[in-house]
Amino acid sequence: MSEAGALPLDGIRVLDFTHVLAGPFATRIMGDLGADVVKVTSMARPGNVPGNAYYTMWNRNKRSLALDMSDELARETCRALCERADVVIENFAVGVLDRWGVGYDVVREANPGVVYVAMSGMGSEGPWSHFVTYAPTIHALAGLTYLTGVPDHDPIGIGVSHNDHIAGLHATVATLAALEGRRRTGRGQRIDLSQFEVGVSLAGPALLDYSANERIARPGGNTLPYDVAAPHDCYPCAGDDRWVAIAVMNDAQWRALRSVMGEPSWASDARYDEASGRVADRATLDARVSEWTSRHETEAVQSLCQAAGVPAGVVQTGADMVERDPQFAHLGFFTTTDSGADEPPVPVDALPLRFSATPVTQYRAPRALGADNAAVLDEWIGMDEADVRAGEQSGAYR
Amino acid sequence: MAAVAGPLAGVRILDLSDERGIFAGKLLADLGADVVRVEPPGGDPLRRRGPFIERDAGDDGGTEDAKDAGHAEPVSLWHAFYASNRRPVTIDAASEAGREQLRGLCLEADAVLDCGTLAAAGLSIEELVSAKPDLVAVDVSSFGPDGPWRDLRAPDLVASALGGFAATTGDADTQPLKAFGDMTRVTAGLYAAIAILAGLRHARERGEGQRIDVPVHTAVASCLEHVLMFFWHQEGRVLKRQGSLHWSGAYEVMPVPGGHIMVTITPSLERNLVWLVEDGAHQDLFDEQYQQPENLALLIPRIMQVFREWVATKELPSFFFDAQERHYPYGWVLTPDEVAGNPHLAERDWWSRYPAGQEADPEAALGPGTPYQFSDTPWVPPGPAAETVTGTVDGSGRTVEAMFDEIGWGP
Repeated sequence: MSEAGALPLDGIRVLDFTHVLAGPFATRIMGDLGADVVKVTSMARPGNVPGNAYYTMWNRNKRSLALDMSDELARETCRALCERADVVIENFAVGVLDRWGVGYDVVREANPGVVYVAMSGMGSEGPWSHFVTYAPTIHALAGLTYLTGVPDHDPIGIGVSHNDHIAGLHATVATLAALEGRRRTGRGQRIDLSQFEVGVSLAGPALLDYSANERIARPGGNTLPYDVAAPHDCYPCAGDDRWVAIAVMNDAQWRALRSVMGEPSWASDARYDEASGRVADRATLDARVSEWTSRHETEAVQSLCQAAGVPAGVVQTGADMVERDPQFAHLGFFTTTDSGADEPPVPVDALPLRFSATPVTQYRAPRALGADNAAVLDEWIGMDEADVRAGEQSGAYR
Repeated sequence: MAAVAGPLAGVRILDLSDERGIFAGKLLADLGADVVRVEPPGGDPLRRRGPFIERDAGDDGGTEDAKDAGHAEPVSLWHAFYASNRRPVTIDAASEAGREQLRGLCLEADAVLDCGTLAAAGLSIEELVSAKPDLVAVDVSSFGPDGPWRDLRAPDLVASALGGFAATTGDADTQPLKAFGDMTRVTAGLYAAIAILAGLRHARERGEGQRIDVPVHTAVASCLEHVLMFFWHQEGRVLKRQGSLHWSGAYEVMPVPGGHIMVTITPSLERNLVWLVEDGAHQDLFDEQYQQPENLALLIPRIMQVFREWVATKELPSFFFDAQERHYPYGWVLTPDEVAGNPHLAERDWWSRYPAGQEADPEAALGPGTPYQFSDTPWVPPGPAAETVTGTVDGSGRTVEAMFDEIGWGP
């Protein structure tokens, strides 16, 4: 194992202008991995700030620098910081950083190694590039709201802002790839990410199917559009709104499920011996399976099925995950921030990657706005503390 | 022949993944890495996942006819998408010689993307990393390499359920739902690509490789937006399924003549009400009872109710475009064919051809390009499928060196 505390992105400096979720999720991962992530915010901007639960979730392992970008001194300082950054990342609408005087062309001129990541909704070019989007907007436009649902029902869509997470992961992949490329070429580059294209990519095979075969995918509940598999759904269990997922992927697993259910006579119907017969009579089959699951607790169905080799799992809520899931507990997935003397630890979900040589174990709580002004401005651009305090007094660094 | 473009040009990756990790291989290969994908004798099982190209379909729909006409194996579009830009090598890892070839390939790679294949072949990741100290070996598994649930089976639906995703998707009158597609696999694949690139950086800087585990279970659970936030920061609150209504109550899909649209009052309530007032459709929203800040919990549902009646007087698609002109982040609910015909994506020349055979096929299906553009080292569009290099299969006895010569790897 490496020297204690060594992390994969040690020494990488990230100047982070992102806000809300997609961008902060990307820089949270970079911070977890050891990059020095400096989040630039301003007291002049309302919205997500330290203390807000949403902010707390996505802004650990970052330092906080306050810059009021309407102030000339702040903009000048920002340009100097950009010159020292390995990564500059933002998820504003197209053009905001250009207006602040730290657009890509300006930054690259002074810092040819910079990896400059823009995460706009639609990408910087094209007729919809000025559209305003949040994750629910992207889900709708990308087909995900239509496709995730059940037949003959109003559109449902995904119950979390999933595309923001996926966009953040893509941005991290792209950033790390550009840093690897820089090792070879000596130069950075601009990465223009489109959150819309992130969303559309999630339906890749269905879109290829439409192009090749003109077949349009439709909402189908928990059925698999391209596999012959049944039973394959979430089924009600004993208790209030408790559910279990059962996914029978082949005939052997069906036979195992029959046995787990106690070989009920309906299940011995020869039509059910093959997957195609089970799919053809799916509604009846699902109703029968539901009768069985309704008599049992979720955990019991999961363990009975899994012991017989049938894929099954509790539909876990946040409470199930934190309080009852033994695997999360084993993996140490839920932990807390390192608490300072005067701040209580905050619960966090760990980075879901387990490194054997460079384990990620440190989660520092989100910092108060501007709490790291002096340290960052000293370490990145050698500014005297007196100058930092003067800038704070004048309002530039607030 | 190694790919020459893309930021990862020259990076060698050995792809031993199944569906849980294959998206990582696509991400890295499309960014220019030289990714060799090992298939068992008989071919990659993922070549048998639908959808397939339906060729020569006659009036009777004839998939069987097509088979009789010589197209023995239907061509998988699922595989064309997720296995893009890979170079296939067939190895029988169950044989002694095949295991030796597999080990040899690992030792020539910068990184290995595994899903339990090495362990199944009797190879130990730890041994490989000690034989090649800067090797990065990423193993994607459903639950991690140890722990009480290590051996549970978790296809996408079960992974969605246990990972916390399904409980929050669906409506009050439906069962919990998984997302359309391969969401848990895509999420794990993205994390696996991050693991490889982060591991590579450490190996370049310090000469130290390592094993990195990527459990799908934790990967899914890390992407649940409000779920853990509610539990931790709102006294254990669990939000039930509520259709398209966002957890904040401030975004919802509503029917409009011509389709559906996602309507919201974010980011600015005041600005979003302007249009409503212009239309004289605001009803009682400015009544005293809604004006107190403590009554926000009353106001938001009332606004959404008023919105519902108002949008029913509009028409799509003009309503969507008019809203965006006003900088309202509304979202028109589109179907896959409408997404395929999207003018913005067409103007960006975003779609890419996915050749599903070894010839450059002008009829190749169109599918997603990469969701990011690199200014200096563009991505590598999917090329025609590379010819499969055959290692040791059924005792055919090729040496590791011969195979390295053919694929251009080797010491």
